[in-house]
Amino acid sequence: MGLLSILRKLKSAPDQEVRILLLGLDNAGKTTLLKQLASEDISHITPTQGFNIKSVQSQGFKLNVWDIGGQRKIRPYWRNYFENTDVLIYVIDSADRKRFEETGQELAELLDEEKLSGVPVLIFANKQDLLTAAPASEIAEGLNLHTIRDRVWQIQSCSALTGEGVQDGMNWVCKNVNAKKK
Amino acid sequence: MISYIWHYFYSNYFRFWLKWVLRQISGKCELQRICDGTKDGASRTHRIEYSLEHSKCKVLRCAINISEEEADQYLANIVKEKKINLEKDKRFEINLRICLLQISGYKKLYLDVEELRKQSFDSNNNYHEQQLLELWDLLMPHEKLNNRVTKQWGDVGFQGDDPKTDFRGMGMLGLANLLYFSKHYTEEARLILSHSNHPKLGYSYAIVGINLTEMAYSLLKSGALKFHFYNTVPEFPQMKSFHQLYCYLVYEFDKFWFKEEPESIMQFNQYREKFHDQIKHLLSNERVALTL
Repeated sequence: MGLLSILRKLKSAPDQEVRILLLGLDNAGKTTLLKQLASEDISHITPTQGFNIKSVQSQGFKLNVWDIGGQRKIRPYWRNYFENTDVLIYVIDSADRKRFEETGQELAELLDEEKLSGVPVLIFANKQDLLTAAPASEIAEGLNLHTIRDRVWQIQSCSALTGEGVQDGMNWVCKNVNAKKK
Repeated sequence: MISYIWHYFYSNYFRFWLKWVLRQISGKCELQRICDGTKDGASRTHRIEYSLEHSKCKVLRCAINISEEEADQYLANIVKEKKINLEKDKRFEINLRICLLQISGYKKLYLDVEELRKQSFDSNNNYHEQQLLELWDLLMPHEKLNNRVTKQWGDVGFQGDDPKTDFRGMGMLGLANLLYFSKHYTEEARLILSHSNHPKLGYSYAIVGINLTEMAYSLLKSGALKFHFYNTVPEFPQMKSFHQLYCYLVYEFDKFWFKEEPESIMQFNQYREKFHDQIKHLLSNERVALTL
């Protein structure tokens, strides 16, 4: 094989495409997280009507991240985006204790979805920059995450605002992309 | 490449000599010639702005970023510096004054808007709370709020039961715009709110409003609103002028949305982009004036 054809082969070997679904209640910080991943300005964010999508290159993967609005009114549309999801990222506002029950319920429903069965799930305990934020361990306990047995899962504390913890979470995502149980 | 070289030589050498020749022939400086040869509005102010910005003379270059009170002083400085005979050109002073106010006013308007945007909605601030409740009363005159935190906020298109988290990156600017539209165009606001409750084509009135505030803000920031303001505000623009533009966007977006008939609210961002492109196209015309 000549050098040229090796180069050509290298160039044509495309990154593996990964479909990531970003869900969570409104004001959880999904869009901020998405923009943080894409290294974009996060100071002018507005509530998401519908969805945003961005592609990010990471560790040999092309991550197509779908950020779907979390408003109650549009949660029924979430299911339209389930198909072919490789990893689910569920974002929680760790400081919004009043809605822990609501967010737990939404997550439980997602984990029951047939189209998402076996899909690895990363839970971001977001907004750790706030003094009132609950630690990830408390959230994991409150949401009974230890009872999840049908897939790999991870909870990661982070602050989408400062970027802390975000990369750790994404490393986990890249490691577990192919862990989907058939 | 050629155009780049041409532009370099033009702005550094030719322009200067061309101006000198024209000055000898006409007996007038470039600022006077622009005022003579253009109608008031963007076509004049835009050219004056370019001329001042690229002037070799510091007095002129500084005149594009002044306060309203300084206008007369700078005007006198320019007249003196350029040795302009005001007896022979009586309109010049009035015309240039308007241009100076418009040019600096745009920059000041952006600073004011930015300051309001940076102010977060604060539940402990009575004034903020008062404005929020006023918004409700204007939009829903026949229904009282049961509580400050209530699901009813969803009826005017906020996401949850407390609007405070919805203003986000737009801060008090988002609320000020929503309130201005409801206050000054009450009928239109209620009509559009009723459209937004359409069973199939409906959208979240307040949230879309906050998104349109972001659109108006980014247009202002990029300078895309210059022609519009130069044509519609013949003085130092105030916050009101920005609110007015927001009102135009809300009104036109509603028409656009129903004309396009999107499949569902999930398509919002695609249609927002399309609408944004249309507005940018309108704004690129020197004669643009976006008014309700």
